[in-house]
Amino acid sequence: MDIFLERLFDGLTNGAVYAIMALALVVVFRSTGTINFAQGEMALFTTYIAWWLTTIGVPLWAGTVAAAGVGFLLGAVVERTLIRPVRRRSDMATLIVALGLFTAFNALAGLLWNSETKPMPSLFPSGLKDYLSVGGARLYIDALGVWLVVIALIGAVFLLFNRTRLGLHMRAVAGNPESAALSGVRTGRILMLGWGLAGIVGSLAGVLVTPLSPQQLSLQTMFPILIYASAAALFGGLDSPMGAVVGGLVIGVLEALITGYVEFIGGTLPQTAALVVIVLILLLRPTGLFGTRQMERL
Amino acid sequence: MTLPTAETRPTVETLLTVEGLAAGYGQARVLHGVDLEIGKGEAVVVLGANGAGKTTTMRALAGLLPYTGRVGFEGQALGGLRPDAIVSRGVSLVPQGRGTFSHLTVLENLHVGAAMRRDKDGIREDVERWCSVFPVLAERSRQAAGTLSGGEQQMLAVARALMSRPRLLLCDEPSLGLAPRVVAGLFEVLARVNREEGVALLIVEQNAELALSIAHRVYLLEVGRVVASGTADDFRGDETIRRAYLGY
Repeated sequence: MDIFLERLFDGLTNGAVYAIMALALVVVFRSTGTINFAQGEMALFTTYIAWWLTTIGVPLWAGTVAAAGVGFLLGAVVERTLIRPVRRRSDMATLIVALGLFTAFNALAGLLWNSETKPMPSLFPSGLKDYLSVGGARLYIDALGVWLVVIALIGAVFLLFNRTRLGLHMRAVAGNPESAALSGVRTGRILMLGWGLAGIVGSLAGVLVTPLSPQQLSLQTMFPILIYASAAALFGGLDSPMGAVVGGLVIGVLEALITGYVEFIGGTLPQTAALVVIVLILLLRPTGLFGTRQMERL
Repeated sequence: MTLPTAETRPTVETLLTVEGLAAGYGQARVLHGVDLEIGKGEAVVVLGANGAGKTTTMRALAGLLPYTGRVGFEGQALGGLRPDAIVSRGVSLVPQGRGTFSHLTVLENLHVGAAMRRDKDGIREDVERWCSVFPVLAERSRQAAGTLSGGEQQMLAVARALMSRPRLLLCDEPSLGLAPRVVAGLFEVLARVNREEGVALLIVEQNAELALSIAHRVYLLEVGRVVASGTADDFRGDETIRRAYLGY
């Protein structure tokens, strides 16, 4: 039982991180209608910035704020300079640019900080003894911290989308960019802000996940997380923040339980399992669990 | 063909002046120099066959298409402005095929329509006003716009466009795909908005009879050019036009 609980806690913690990354994907998708496959590597880059700041004596929380700030600028600048010019041509062009950015940010991080693995400090107490006992299982404080940050972040994103003008305009632009422009919404600005916002969310995901990752901070850290996050976002519905969260948690828990109990999948197969989930969702329920079907009566 | 001329135009202050408007899609030129004028508070209809360039004219005026030629609104040039800037100058388009936000609620749709306004109280008042003009919007205020019937969506599209408090409302084929009874109701409201609020209208319409019933003046567009203009009565009185566009 306690083993089961510990695996469940592990799964929820990883799932929480997939959830935030998926949230970043959803924010971009909702405001621009495209999946930003470079989101993970942009987050990796800003996580390196947070790490680098700690090496010159800046406390990690300040480094995290800085990383989030850079993430915002990076997202906004990338949208304005690289995505917007090609977006008008086709969705495929946007996808290719995102893939290009994927390799570019990874290479840039490698160039600036070399490819050696860095030990990443955690925002929360993460010693072997920093845990609470729950039903005989250990619930580590840093895991709890990740949960809290995720809950706060989700609340903030929910409020932004549903209770603010900016959020309303973002949803309008995502649903019908031309009508949004005709209503007086400055669509360009909205898209830029959407990408910037996703940059913040992604950066926080990066800083939270790397200390928990077996790979710590290396050039390979974010790729598997992006795969899981994409699966989570698709699972929950690409336009639903709620769905991203549920999807992230489900994928995280499944991953932990499957690798724990089904021996032949352990190791590298969980990523394949996530891809299988993606394919199944696309086949069976393309809008995901919480996604909205396009409703239209003529 | 004896066509009426624009000289019969009532003497009102000019709101919109269009001179030599030329536009198209890629290599295909659709408009070859359209000239028209709308006075303050006037209701003007553009008639013309399919492909005459009516929708292109509307999209160019709203800033959705690049064009050459001069467009002046309240004495200021609109050329080269983005759609959102044109809205804030006081020109609002109800595009063909409604252009509502199907996944947003009716209320949210109205609020998006006030995107560039900052006066919270005024926005709330306007929401209430258009909900009382279009009672169906009040009934369905929390429903997603996509679940509304075609007629209800068109009402919402018009109300959304009015939320920006335009001095000129452009309507592109508002009757398209709607039942006759619904269309009559819609035009009644458009006429009322024009009469009571003093909002000038530029309406593109296939349903010429209905359009003439609320219009002060008419332009006839053929292959990207204005070939005739006059008052609604001139047009009803002209046999050639009556046969070609009114069908009797």
